[in-house]
Amino acid sequence: MMGKLKMIKELQTFRSLFYLSALAITISMSLSLSSIADSIDEQVREISYLLMCPVCQGQTVEESNSQLANDMRAIIRKKLEVGESKEEIIAYFVDRYGETILGAPPAKGTNWVLWLLPAFALLAGGLGIGLFIYKSKSEKSDKFEKEPKEPLTHVNTEYIDKINKELKDFES
Amino acid sequence: MKILSAVTKLSVFVGIVLLLFLFAYAIFGDKVFEKPSPLVGTQAPDFRLNLFTGGQLKLSELKGKAVLLNFWASWCGPCRSEAPALEASWRKYRDKPVVFLGINVWDDKSNALRYIDSFGGGYLNGLDPKGEIAVEYGVAGVPETYFIDPSGKIVDKYTGQLTKETIDYFLERALSPSKQNELTKR
Repeated sequence: MMGKLKMIKELQTFRSLFYLSALAITISMSLSLSSIADSIDEQVREISYLLMCPVCQGQTVEESNSQLANDMRAIIRKKLEVGESKEEIIAYFVDRYGETILGAPPAKGTNWVLWLLPAFALLAGGLGIGLFIYKSKSEKSDKFEKEPKEPLTHVNTEYIDKINKELKDFES
Repeated sequence: MKILSAVTKLSVFVGIVLLLFLFAYAIFGDKVFEKPSPLVGTQAPDFRLNLFTGGQLKLSELKGKAVLLNFWASWCGPCRSEAPALEASWRKYRDKPVVFLGINVWDDKSNALRYIDSFGGGYLNGLDPKGEIAVEYGVAGVPETYFIDPSGKIVDKYTGQLTKETIDYFLERALSPSKQNELTKR
């Protein structure tokens, strides 16, 4: 009788342990699934930001509400779900729509002009301003050095004579 | 002072040369023949299309025939305008190894069916409900038409309203390999 009771108790403990572990597995599975979904959502957003919507004015696939952009986002998601990489997905769209679909032109070929021109303009502008400041400063100092230092009496003797005369008149 | 002006002159000269070089590279650099689509000259992506008349059609099943692949929507004005030309050309090329295939995209099925009833289209038409075929072909708007040669290679892409003359021109090119070669020289 005691042995039977013990067996029932053990069975109950085993059952509750089984339920607890099943619950833990379910929770951890749903958590990992939601984190996968979150990470796919994030990747879809990231890739969509890198691609321009072909039918919109200056909008990325992520920003656009057009039907084509919706379809493109769905295709990106589908490709991510089957394990394609970001680079593969971007290449897929470039192969179909050309490089104009990229948000930023790749640094190759004539695109180098686009990448280098702003840096070049900044450098040239900075150099120009620097030279202008340097030149105007040195011109000023040159001018100051070159100016003749004449004695005060020679500057305007007529004026000094007038002052002297007025002083004399005042004293007398 | 003399050294400074020489440095200024040199930097201005170098700047101008660099700028000219950049512009020259932009104009003449790696200039390539501009294609209407990166897919032109490549093998047409295969797809399975659900036909409005029922059943499915696989593009690869049409090998050996030239294919005119027309993307359209019922709400699209130029699609309506080109419909009579497509219908007339389909009748003209009926006895030749040419298949006209319409793909309805970004549309409502009932509107598409009404459109087919109103604007003819005796040729094959199917629905691309998720726009997957359209994206696979790099379609950005409607109407857009691809011309595929009998070997399954995309020969041309035409964006906008077709006329009977443009259909003739592109189909002749799709049917004749010698005319296709003219494309690269054009």
